[in-house]
Amino acid sequence: MKRHQALNVNGEEYDIEIEPNRLLLHALRDDIGLTGTKEGCSIGVCGACSVIVGGRLVSSCLTLAVACQGKEITTIEGLAKDGKLHPLQQAFLEYGGFQCGICTPGQIIAAKALLDSNPHPTEEEIKEWMSGNLCRCTGYYKIFESIMAVVQNKVRAEDLTARERREARIQSLGVYKSSS
Amino acid sequence: MAKGENYSVVGQRVTRVEGYDKVTGEARYVADLHLPGMLFGKILRSPFPHARILNIDTSKAEKVRGVKAVVTAEDTIKRQWGAFFADQYPLSVGKVRYVGEEVAAVAAIDPDTAEDALHLIEVDYEELPAVFDAEQAMQEGAPLIHDNKPRNIAMTIDVERGDIQRAFADSDVIVEDTFESIPQWHCAIETIGSVAEYAPSGKYTIYMNTQTLFMARYRVAAALGVRETDVRVIQSAVGGGFGGKSCDDNNAIVAAILARKTRKPVKVINTREDEFLAGSRPRVNMKIWVRMGFKKDGRIRAKQLRIIADNGAYSGKAPAITGVAALRHDTCYKYSDVKTQAYLVYTNKIPTGAFRGFGNPSAEWAVEQAIDMGANELGIDPLQIARMNAAGPGYVSPHGNRVTSCELGQCIDMVEKMMDWKTKRAGKKPDTGLGLACTVHVSGKRHFGDYDGGSATIKINEDGKALILCGEGEVGQGAATAMCQIAAEELGVPIGDVEISQADTDLTTFCLGAFGSRVTYVGGNAVRDAAAKAKQQILETASEMLEARPDDLVVEHGKVYVKGAEAKAVSVADVARARLFRRGGAPVVASGSFDADSVLQDETRYGNESGAYNFGCQAAEVEVDTETGQVKVLKYVATSDCGTVINPIGAEGQVEGSLAQGLGYALIEGLRMEEGRPINPNFSDYRLPSMRDMPDLEHAFAASYEPTGPFGAKGLGELGMDPTAAVISNAIFDAVGVRIKTLPITPEKVLKALREREK
Ligand code: FES
Ligand code: FES
Repeated sequence: MKRHQALNVNGEEYDIEIEPNRLLLHALRDDIGLTGTKEGCSIGVCGACSVIVGGRLVSSCLTLAVACQGKEITTIEGLAKDGKLHPLQQAFLEYGGFQCGICTPGQIIAAKALLDSNPHPTEEEIKEWMSGNLCRCTGYYKIFESIMAVVQNKVRAEDLTARERREARIQSLGVYKSSS
Repeated sequence: MAKGENYSVVGQRVTRVEGYDKVTGEARYVADLHLPGMLFGKILRSPFPHARILNIDTSKAEKVRGVKAVVTAEDTIKRQWGAFFADQYPLSVGKVRYVGEEVAAVAAIDPDTAEDALHLIEVDYEELPAVFDAEQAMQEGAPLIHDNKPRNIAMTIDVERGDIQRAFADSDVIVEDTFESIPQWHCAIETIGSVAEYAPSGKYTIYMNTQTLFMARYRVAAALGVRETDVRVIQSAVGGGFGGKSCDDNNAIVAAILARKTRKPVKVINTREDEFLAGSRPRVNMKIWVRMGFKKDGRIRAKQLRIIADNGAYSGKAPAITGVAALRHDTCYKYSDVKTQAYLVYTNKIPTGAFRGFGNPSAEWAVEQAIDMGANELGIDPLQIARMNAAGPGYVSPHGNRVTSCELGQCIDMVEKMMDWKTKRAGKKPDTGLGLACTVHVSGKRHFGDYDGGSATIKINEDGKALILCGEGEVGQGAATAMCQIAAEELGVPIGDVEISQADTDLTTFCLGAFGSRVTYVGGNAVRDAAAKAKQQILETASEMLEARPDDLVVEHGKVYVKGAEAKAVSVADVARARLFRRGGAPVVASGSFDADSVLQDETRYGNESGAYNFGCQAAEVEVDTETGQVKVLKYVATSDCGTVINPIGAEGQVEGSLAQGLGYALIEGLRMEEGRPINPNFSDYRLPSMRDMPDLEHAFAASYEPTGPFGAKGLGELGMDPTAAVISNAIFDAVGVRIKTLPITPEKVLKALREREK
């Protein structure tokens, strides 16, 4: 039997009609229409479905929507404000922390959960924490660099909006030279 | 030396054109699409590896509330299709040949209803004897999987160049052994999926996460029995391909069949289990016997291979993959006398197919270990052997591959330096060792008929912005960004003034798509040609506006001016408008194309696969725990010759991602199978490398320029994956003196080998 359910996602209230066994992942994607959260394995292994619920990082593929009643839910869509990217999003963009992008919302959300509770993690802490988020494209090096860039405050201060960013896509890092 | 130093956009760390969408979660993948009235499709799969279908009763499933259609082979034209051999049906006809084969499908108002209905479809099977081992399948009397393939042999290769007998007789040292690889799954984090619509006029529109749009269109149309243009394929954002999304599976075809029957859009997204069973076709596993002869000084004198490739139940791209495993490596070193026999054999297992490396990782797993064995017997440093035998510019392989640019020697030199090879070798520590291997890959491959080309169109909008229309598509590897850089460089406009369209078979010209490391090289050349032609039009009109000869004009940063008179510039936008908005005006628009100077292999497999060849050398330092058998990679070095690096962020990403897949292949990946049935087709049983598994990595790109490539570029995407497993195995041998000959190299195997050695 479907029943009424209120969910607070990224600071907005959503009222949806769902079965009690509805997974948070599907409530977000299919009932609310926030498709930034992805489904990769459906069994809590890959981290593509990562969201933050009440300050904790969870796999939304293992979480019932009804269990999130009254808690603040943060998804990838809640990170950029007024077209300005979150520093992690900016870092992933500049340091190439993604390729196909399917794992990226989960990676960024997981990294946010880490930095929210531990703004200056060690390299080992980052590697350990992020090992719950699989990526088949990047080999993780650039994901790690992206997170490190935020930890070390290296992300450029001036938050560009989407439009400005599109116009100025070349970073000031110069022409590539081979190391030989 | 690289001629790229003066480029303004090529060679820059340009961020992704679609990057903003991807970091904000706005990119639209196929699973994110929702069309009005859309239904959800689910597929009923065979539980048996080999069985006759006696009867299918769908009546109960059809009565389920919310079910809109149940389809079986009776709803199809029962025509077989396939990339090289037409051997599979969209839905089984008469019999099933592997666990997971598509037998029937349901479309319903939601995925749960469709799933429930699947359980109500009653299929009567008569089980048939099955065969799971390729060598057994080749025996007389083995169960026959396809009636028209005696002894289950899908294809054979038998090639000899030079005089192999004489070459072995002339060798000072001969080594031989057998190496076995495994089926490796792509495990893109996004599974295969489609949303198909059918218009009563007869046209199918399919949103697909395919990496080869036009090939998908061709195959889907063949399976449905319609004209190619009756199928429109639109590429969604693609969540990783690696070869697995090159449309060798039935997902899109089943979606189309359901859409036609229901007259509603139907979405079919593979579950992870679907994906393992019948989605992306895993890497062809091969058993390779190799024999190599060397001269005393380390020169390779002879090489002989015998390959048994396990095709699985249907062929897909396995024939071409087996061909690559058989012959490609002969372009890496200077070979004279070689012989290869290869058999591609049907078994009652999941069909195999294209995976990054395309036969190369399996072959190099064997051959690069044999070379290491030779080095060991000769007492020569394997790095010297590699250097001495490395191919160079102008080399022609025994099978006709013509090497243009080649910086393999430079790659080997860089590895030596970056790994501190000499010092480490001289001061070898116990249980620690060094290994290396070299590789060659193509930049596009002439094998789908006699065509190895691509095309693209560029139009300059009235605001001066260039739009690239190109059907190569973006699978996540960064092709779209590289194309924009190439166009910007050629046109003389800022990168922010170039956009690229979604790939769509109705709107973009024919392209073969993402395979064979071809997109930057072939597609990039086509884009460059289109840009050059569009620029010609800009110069023509600007010359009228500026009253100067086109030859005296330059286009830079989006401005056109007479050399030396920059103050009197007009913008590209001004020119585009001036050309269009006048009596008899025309838009600035041009199509470009490129077809590589390659030669289709003849019936003896002599030809020239590709327009350019990419090379690389990799090395690892490993430490083996002799108590546990655990292998730890202390340091990894990867060097690549991909010509000009168009985008360092993208290029580095290709190498890094390849390494993760290569290490997975070498050390951990694989599914436990029982009688052709995966025990646990999911991500907890099939383990992928995670961040903590990645070793220290240093990589570098050779200073290289490919004369036939766009701004000197050639392919890169697969190169990094090819030699990794052999690199690790060679390093383990150097560390502890045991050689592992089957993949993956698990701690158990290492321990067992160590124990056996002690005996
Ligand atoms: S989809 Fe939830 S962890 Fe993979
Ligand atoms: S970027 Fe493709 S899976 Fe991570």
